[in-house]
Amino acid sequence: MAERLPPRTGEVIDREEELRFQFDGEDYLAFSGDTIASALAATGVRVFSRSFKYHRPRGLLCCAGHCPNCLVQVGEEPNVRACRRRVEAGMRVEPQNVTPTLKRDWLAPVMRALSPFMSVGFYYKTLYRPSWVWKLGEPLLRAATGLGKVSVPKIPSEGFDKQYLRGDVVVVGAGPAGMSATLSAAGQGASVLLLDENGQLGGHLRTTGDTQQRLPSLLEKVRAAGNIRVFTETTVTGWFDHSWLAAVRGHRLYKIRAGAVVLASGALERPLLFENNDLPGVMLGSAAQRLLRLHSVKPGQRAVVMTANDDGWEVAADLRAAGVEVVAMADERERAASSSARVDALSADVPVFWRHTVAAAHGGSAVQAATIVPLDGDGDTQAPRHRQDCDLLLVSVGWTPNTGLAYQAGVRFGFDEKRAELTARDMPENFAIAGRAAGTHLLEHELAEGALAGRSMAAAAGRGDAPAAAQWTQVQEEKAAEPARSAPWVSVAGAGKRFLCYCEDVTEKDLYTAVAEGYDSIELLKRYSTISMGPCQGKMCSMNAVHLCARANAASVDETGSTKSRPPLQPISLGALAGQNMEPVRVTPVHDWHLERGAKMMVAGLWLRPERYGDPAGEVRAVRERVGVIDVSTLGKYKLTGPSVPDILEKIYINRWRKLAVGRVRYGAMCNTEGIVMDDGVTARVGEQEWYMTTTSGGAGSVNEWMQWWMQSGWGEGVQLLNRTDDFAAVNLAGPQARALLQKLTGLQLGNDQFPYMHARSGAVAGVPCRLLRIGFTGELSYELHCPSSYGRHLWERLLAAGEQFGILPFGVEAQRVLRLEKGHLIIGQDTDALSNPIAAELSWAVKLDKEDFLGQRSLIRVTERGVRQRLVGFTVPGVSVAPEEGLQIVALGSNGKRPEIIGWVSSCRFSPTLNEVIGLCWLPSEIAETDGAEFNIWRDERPLAARVHHGAVYDPEGARLRS
Amino acid sequence: MSMKLVRQALRGERPPPRMWRAHELRERYDAVIIGGGAHGLCCAYYLAEEHGITDVAVLEKRYIGAGGSGRNTAIVRSNYLTPEGVRFYDASLKLYERMAGELDINVMLSQRGHLTLAHNDGSLRTMRRRAEVNRLQGVESRVIFPEEIERLCPHLDVSDHPRYPILGALYHPRGGIMRHDAVVWGYAHQADARGVHIHQLTEVTGIAVEGWRVTGVETNRGNIKTGTVLNATAGWCSTTAAMAGVKLPVTTSPLQACVSEPLKPFLDVVIVSGSLHVYVSQSDRGELVMGASVDPFPSYSSRGSLSFAESLAGHIVELMPALQHVRLMRQWAGLCDMTPDYSPIMGFTPVEGFYVDVGWGTYGFKASPISGKMLAECIATQRTPDLIAPFRLSRFSEFDLVGEKGAASVAN
Amino acid sequence: MLILNCPNCGERNVSEFRNGGEYRPRPACPREKDDLQWAEYVYLRSNVSGVQKEWWYHRAGCGLWFLAERHTKTNEITATYRWRPAAASSEEERKADG
Ligand SMILES: Cc1cc2nc3c(=O)[nH]c(=O)nc-3n(C[C@H](O)[C@H](O)[C@H](O)COP(=O)(O)OP(=O)(O)OC[C@H]3O[C@@H](n4cnc5c(N)ncnc54)[C@H](O)[C@@H]3O)c2cc1C
Ligand code: FES
Ligand code: FES
Ligand SMILES: [Zn+2]
Repeated sequence: MAERLPPRTGEVIDREEELRFQFDGEDYLAFSGDTIASALAATGVRVFSRSFKYHRPRGLLCCAGHCPNCLVQVGEEPNVRACRRRVEAGMRVEPQNVTPTLKRDWLAPVMRALSPFMSVGFYYKTLYRPSWVWKLGEPLLRAATGLGKVSVPKIPSEGFDKQYLRGDVVVVGAGPAGMSATLSAAGQGASVLLLDENGQLGGHLRTTGDTQQRLPSLLEKVRAAGNIRVFTETTVTGWFDHSWLAAVRGHRLYKIRAGAVVLASGALERPLLFENNDLPGVMLGSAAQRLLRLHSVKPGQRAVVMTANDDGWEVAADLRAAGVEVVAMADERERAASSSARVDALSADVPVFWRHTVAAAHGGSAVQAATIVPLDGDGDTQAPRHRQDCDLLLVSVGWTPNTGLAYQAGVRFGFDEKRAELTARDMPENFAIAGRAAGTHLLEHELAEGALAGRSMAAAAGRGDAPAAAQWTQVQEEKAAEPARSAPWVSVAGAGKRFLCYCEDVTEKDLYTAVAEGYDSIELLKRYSTISMGPCQGKMCSMNAVHLCARANAASVDETGSTKSRPPLQPISLGALAGQNMEPVRVTPVHDWHLERGAKMMVAGLWLRPERYGDPAGEVRAVRERVGVIDVSTLGKYKLTGPSVPDILEKIYINRWRKLAVGRVRYGAMCNTEGIVMDDGVTARVGEQEWYMTTTSGGAGSVNEWMQWWMQSGWGEGVQLLNRTDDFAAVNLAGPQARALLQKLTGLQLGNDQFPYMHARSGAVAGVPCRLLRIGFTGELSYELHCPSSYGRHLWERLLAAGEQFGILPFGVEAQRVLRLEKGHLIIGQDTDALSNPIAAELSWAVKLDKEDFLGQRSLIRVTERGVRQRLVGFTVPGVSVAPEEGLQIVALGSNGKRPEIIGWVSSCRFSPTLNEVIGLCWLPSEIAETDGAEFNIWRDERPLAARVHHGAVYDPEGARLRS
Repeated sequence: MSMKLVRQALRGERPPPRMWRAHELRERYDAVIIGGGAHGLCCAYYLAEEHGITDVAVLEKRYIGAGGSGRNTAIVRSNYLTPEGVRFYDASLKLYERMAGELDINVMLSQRGHLTLAHNDGSLRTMRRRAEVNRLQGVESRVIFPEEIERLCPHLDVSDHPRYPILGALYHPRGGIMRHDAVVWGYAHQADARGVHIHQLTEVTGIAVEGWRVTGVETNRGNIKTGTVLNATAGWCSTTAAMAGVKLPVTTSPLQACVSEPLKPFLDVVIVSGSLHVYVSQSDRGELVMGASVDPFPSYSSRGSLSFAESLAGHIVELMPALQHVRLMRQWAGLCDMTPDYSPIMGFTPVEGFYVDVGWGTYGFKASPISGKMLAECIATQRTPDLIAPFRLSRFSEFDLVGEKGAASVAN
Repeated sequence: MLILNCPNCGERNVSEFRNGGEYRPRPACPREKDDLQWAEYVYLRSNVSGVQKEWWYHRAGCGLWFLAERHTKTNEITATYRWRPAAASSEEERKADG
């Protein structure tokens, strides 16, 4: 570990525990607490990845998770930020975007050679003439793209989960400002959540300044307070409406409702554009400090430090203290903002170039030298040039506040040209920014601002009083008196590639080209050049791009505007967003029995239902010849009570209800206002003022909402509607032996006179209180039994036991479909779609247009006036035994070679084992549908198949069996 | 190597030619198009190219492509449910197939195949219906089953473990994705070259109507006299129409989408699941482009939501468990002008000279070329072309809606 | 995640609710409307970019249908209240009818 320093206070590594891991196929050692990046840097690894477009070598730039340069593959996980991920024993780390290896990448020289032709947006300008070129070119382009890999198609799901949190004040960032805000908000009695993406509290107190001075006491106070909850390694990724925050920690997503938010997320150090500014070894000053102070790793041996503020001087001092030789200092300013012992000490030993900047880095796969040049007034450079050998070039020229979350919360920013800094305006009342995120850099100011922000936000969340406005004014004034830290220019003139966007390999020249081509607003520029569209989402380039775009248009930064910050602030895994699969599954009380009997289950909305137990044809025969039973617990079930039930039914359904006698059952269908069929089912009048209504399984929820809507907006007087869907199980017993079977289990009088067709009764069956409806979707004598859910399985089993002597079979949805089709009954949603009205869907017999008023009536009046073009009608296909598939089209054959014209379609079709014939329902032009026996053609396998219109049920058209 | 790039490389420091120019706003234009999306710009292009109407202004309140045209997920296909829909969208796809050459910009049409998954027998039936309608209209499209699905996309979990197992899919080989912005820029460039004025940062604030006839528009940069105005403002079309006193059968809802970090190519087809309300494809940049259905309530706010990302991720990971470690990198929203029958509204309105090209909902990008072309024809000839007659505004008062709704749970 | 204030239950996440679209009172006598007027009621929407009075249903809660005033651009909700057959709505009804 060549670059590792002896133990230092403040380091976060545990030298007692060594971990072995792999990078690029080779073994490496790390200390516990090392990140992948620090462990590799400690052994002198410089190149971490290759760039997106040109395959240039890239090394650590920010060491803070905010740039694309250290993205690696860890096992099956692509695009991991090596500087944030802690090493685990046995980890397999691979570099990304290398062909084939990090060190020998043959695409790199190819890309270098091609790069003159790969200017911004080059792919829009090539490979499309003639058009087949693209067919060859796209795969090439595509193969070269992308970073990490999803290599194994199927991997087991890892345990991701979610947690809800709530806090009066949520503080994002645990640096000095954040901790101070936390303490002052907590002091007001607020419950505070303090979140930080780092492993330890402290923020820049751990990486800059005199760490021992303030940190311990702040930590102690945070720890001591009872109303503060601390979340480290927790990254806040977005602010959403009404202060709803998303944060991730490992495999867990937190969803946080905040009363108020203090954003104390610090600042990102800003890269500078100069020739070869992407060479490994060119690093932000703060990155070097992180490596030094947190991981005790020397980032290099001979450093040039390039700065425009006092921070760079601290970096230089840190380097020297760690034994790194500082071979030159360049400072863009005339002189230091405050003369200090530090500047004096350095100036004594190190050549210092005041009012100079770096114009170029030199080297192959890492920095070997830097060119230092004098600056003139406008940020332009001039000769003479000074070339300085080095293996490390540190850049500290300014800060961009880390304010993505504030943008999302609706804060707007203006640009203070004098200080070259963003300033917030339009602050929502429960949002505050403090510390470096607010442009405040001096520790005392940060602490003061944090305390104010904490207190204000506590007050905004209803805890304690807000501080006086004067206190804010004072903080603002103090902050304004701080020396400026950001240079007004962001790039240094020069030849060669000066990278603006590292993620996308976009250079400064690319930007000017794009502007000249007409992509001159920041939004068009972004889209065309892809600046800020990469993995760092513009953290490294957005602000610089705005500056350069402003310069290209001779406009101000404010006029140019910044681009929006979109969530997530840091990429977040789909697994964490997904959490555990919480999709509900609904099962009936008889579900387990179905499984025990090996039923093949099918998905029906949220429900699982038996599609079949064995051969559906056998199940159909059982019903037709003996008796069968089906679990219909999924039906929607409602209890309606009150004197006005008939009124609401009259309005909701297309048919009549007022005269339905107690004890009777009626089929009903309902429409929406457009006159489109919504749902159907049977309803029984079980008492003078009590009704029992059923709906389709799929419609249960929506019918309830629909009826509630109308009832709660004027039609509800004198009616109560209660959803009993889950309270009752229901089974349908059907077949010629149904009565005999049922009679074995009940004392109710079941004779045709005592309990005729379309009547309802209540009574005990197998000792279970039941509601019995004598109805017949299947076309046989049948009883639908509704009982409390908890007795559902018992009833079911008793029916089957009692039915054994009759040869009973349970039947599934498939057999039911055949049975109903033999009777010509439609299924809403299968035989109808979003445009089907009941008149066309052969339900005109139920439509009572002369009723006073019902939903859909006015639209249906119009339908009857104009007539319908297509109708739903039954059909048979003579002479075939394989049913044409549902969804096939009905065509009028074109004359000689012309394509057949679509005139209808098949909505249901089955082979009927009862009739030994293929039967179905289809949509046909009215003129054909009206003629019983009319022939038409179904288009199957590129051939017509003759079918015939059939009016009425094909099975028992008189309905004698139902009534028997 | 294209000559364009060679020339650009040799040109060195000299600036490349501009794609479009800025102009003073004239006092009058023969025609004004409101909305600088793909639809508006395409119509301008065809007015000039095919009908010689070049005195045209396209007014865009922000920048071209600021609306849905620059935010969509660029799925193109023609496997619709109704014969009229299939005919229309197929005509559009054919224009896309020759667009790059015509507009002189690589729009990166990538016909990599489009799979609509079915997770229950009802949607399988709808897939069959679509496949049959498509084939009868000459559009390749067929129902395929898990084995073939897995071959096309090995990352899909075709077992019966998921909550909603995959039963089959509608496979549409000519469906695919493209680069949406390039379409916008291409039309803008060619319209500009033919004399059309493209005015960005120009917001229409009023429409002058005298006795049911359009006479001009008001903008933040001044007033314009004109007898012909096209409303191509998608998500904002109701507010634009209201300026002319026209009410539309439209509600505006945000639609969200997102991309993952770039990945090496592994997903070669577009995957759509209607029942799970998600779709995903991998762009030529390596990002997974993912989307869902419109937000649960109408709004003009294009602020994204966390619930979108959560439910999308849940469904994607259920479909393709290997994507659990893939990271979502950016999410955004655009506004969609939803109609009751999931079909657009094109052509005349009760106000003479005021045309609409709206109601594009979540599916209008793929229709840009054909609708621009048809609207230009409608404006130039004063007749509704047959291809768009089913989509006329008057279908609502005639209760003669288009039947696309059945296929439209996630209708990109 | 928006917060909606259910008149019964108080503040809840919007995910508990279903939006029912803009408030448009049903004409008292649909039969008296001509085809055009009826189509207008059925299909046309104001779709304002501004404050909209609209229906919400507390689906994962008390089952109340209530009204909210929401700014459709900012999603700011300024009021939620129960539907009432009050004079205010009959006034609107007349307008919608006219
Ligand atoms: C996230 C998302 C994904 C989508 N995915 C797909 C997909 O995969 N496939 C597909 O086919 N479709 C998709 N769509 C739909 C598609 O994007 C739109 O239907 C299509 O872009 C509409 O194009 P347009 O030109 O009509 O409107 P837009 O591109 O929205 O343009 C309208 C323009 O009008 C401007 N404007 C508005 N008001 C005014 C005014 N008063 N004055 C001046 N200018 C004004 C706006 O700024 C805007 O630029 C998607 C949409 C979204 C939001
Ligand atoms: S160096 Fe790791 S993200 Fe910048
Ligand atoms: S540097 Fe990351 S997006 Fe530009
Ligand atoms: Zn409630």
